[in-house]
Amino acid sequence: MAQNLINAVTLGSLYLLFALGMSLAWGTIGILNFAHGSIFMFSSFTCYLLVQHIALPMPLMILIGLVVGAVLSVLVQVLAFEPIKRRNPDPHRAELQILVGGIGIAGIPLAVAQHLTKSVPFGYSKSTFEVEVLHLGPVQLTNVQLVILAAALVLAGGVGWWLRSARAGLALRAIGVDAEVAGILGVNRRRLALGTMAVAGALAGVAGVLLTYYLGSIAAESGDAFLLKAFAAIVLGGIGSVGGAVAGAMILALAETAVVTQTSGMWVDAVSFGLIFAVLLLRPRGLFGRREVRRT
Amino acid sequence: MKIARWPRPATMLAGAAVLVAGLTACGGSSGAGTSGGGLPQTIKIMSIKEMTGAVAFAGTNATKGIDLAVDEMNQQKFLGESKLEIDLKDSAASPQEAASFATQALSDKDYSAILGPAASAQAAAVSPIAQKAKMPVIYTQAGSNGVLAGDYTYRVTAPASSYFQLAGEYLRGKGVKTAAVLYNSGNPTLAELGQQTAPQLGQKYGFTITSSDGVQTNAQDFTANGSKIAAANPGAVFVLLNGPQNPTAIMQLRQNGYRGEIVGMTSMGAGNLAPAGQAAAGAVWPSDFSALAENEGAKKFVEAYKAKYNGETPNNYAAEAYDAAWFLARGIKEAGSADRSKIQQGLAKVAAAGFEGAEGKLTFEGNDLRVQGVLAGWDGTKEILVQGTRS
Repeated sequence: MAQNLINAVTLGSLYLLFALGMSLAWGTIGILNFAHGSIFMFSSFTCYLLVQHIALPMPLMILIGLVVGAVLSVLVQVLAFEPIKRRNPDPHRAELQILVGGIGIAGIPLAVAQHLTKSVPFGYSKSTFEVEVLHLGPVQLTNVQLVILAAALVLAGGVGWWLRSARAGLALRAIGVDAEVAGILGVNRRRLALGTMAVAGALAGVAGVLLTYYLGSIAAESGDAFLLKAFAAIVLGGIGSVGGAVAGAMILALAETAVVTQTSGMWVDAVSFGLIFAVLLLRPRGLFGRREVRRT
Repeated sequence: MKIARWPRPATMLAGAAVLVAGLTACGGSSGAGTSGGGLPQTIKIMSIKEMTGAVAFAGTNATKGIDLAVDEMNQQKFLGESKLEIDLKDSAASPQEAASFATQALSDKDYSAILGPAASAQAAAVSPIAQKAKMPVIYTQAGSNGVLAGDYTYRVTAPASSYFQLAGEYLRGKGVKTAAVLYNSGNPTLAELGQQTAPQLGQKYGFTITSSDGVQTNAQDFTANGSKIAAANPGAVFVLLNGPQNPTAIMQLRQNGYRGEIVGMTSMGAGNLAPAGQAAAGAVWPSDFSALAENEGAKKFVEAYKAKYNGETPNNYAAEAYDAAWFLARGIKEAGSADRSKIQQGLAKVAAAGFEGAEGKLTFEGNDLRVQGVLAGWDGTKEILVQGTRS
């Protein structure tokens, strides 16, 4: 039981690390970035390419993943999402085009990685980091699991604190509530949007590297599978809420682990997504979603 | 691995109906600008392969095997003064793309035959229209039922279940009495192996299946499965997953403390276990081909392949496609014509007689290949041939 709980919390932490950046961008600057999975994968893939030539330690790999993720995410914002927003005064139409644009952009790093790897999985076996299994009473966990748990805790806590307490975080939340009024009050929307996308990409990059260490290897398509889970976790928890993302990721992981351990495992998606559907029927804005006020 | 994906029924049905209607209007077979007598200077073949996308590893390797076979045929003047011209089309693992290319080939009289895609969903989209239009199609992989739609469709990859007894023999030799099964429930071939073949092997070779767990097609984390299996500690685990899932599942089984035998599928080959390294040492899998096999056909193929591709070792995808190309060439030679119907008749004769290929002695049951198979393994750094198994 304790072992299953540890496994579920680790899986939930992975979902959280992935979902955190996506949730941040979606809940504040209104960008649902469907290229997030590709950024996540390509950050990890870049580290893989580097580690083929030089044995790097885990902290450096995480740092490289962070930088690559941030740069890719900012590039996506500058080259694709900003032009879309500029050309579409209707925010709803812009959001839709950003969503479709993200799907299109996601195909580029995916195709590059598929071409270079021939869709064979890649991992960090040449990194200096070695996975060790630790036995703590009745449970066992690896040092990678510990890093993932710590990273999820620190990053989710950090992002949550920043949004609630830091001046820039408050400005960002103000954009999320009403972008026009925030602009009138002197909030530099473009700079904050770029910063948000950089942080979201950095989180994706960190998640990509940690996931590759944890799973031993990932494939070029791995980002797509996580995208769906992260999307589900965010919707379940409530868009724009860090606490919601934490809750959504953990509930999803706990449900999946329970199904895998208690049944033959074939109903994982049906049960976990069915559960999400049931929750959303009762709370349409998710567990921690904020109430939207529309004035006429 | 048999790359098996089910088509979306509604889309496929509608697509197939439109294509069949179009083809019926176009007329059927002809053949490479010939009137059925003698071979033309060039015999045009369309090769629909997954050069990009999720199963690019199958398409790119298959294409290398085909290119090698065609080089050999042309050098040997196997078809006299006639040469095979391969027109490669990238289906990008899309059934719609594959069906579209196939339709193009069917309506163009210059094409004499098709070397089909590897994924079952694509093959299932191509087969009905090719059969209707009497166009010979030779597939590799494409393991699902329904891919072979009639006498014009052939498959030059033996079903894994037909040589999976090698795993049973191996486990009996190791004295295994209990086994767990972890399989990809979204892949028909892997699901069939997990749900039917493994239990049948257990009955025949004296072990009991203690647990059988399906995972989703895109599952990436197997910690919970690994933990559950390791706690039960069976003598062996059948890990029947797709390529990228294998190293992760094995690594997580080992991290959970499992030390027993691990048996897989050809999806463990083609370098897929490399990321797991030493954690996967000892894993074995029945395969239709190994570059280390000792039969003459395999040795000759491996040598020629390495010479052409800078020392690269061929995998099963390349070997199967190489045999498929040679099967087609033999069929054309037997037919003495580039006419589609006559090629089909030629292929039927070659299939009835069998021939020696890269996969060893090739025989057919109907239009489906059968091979002896080999038991391949991973020693922690490279693929090996498990001693004492047939080759």
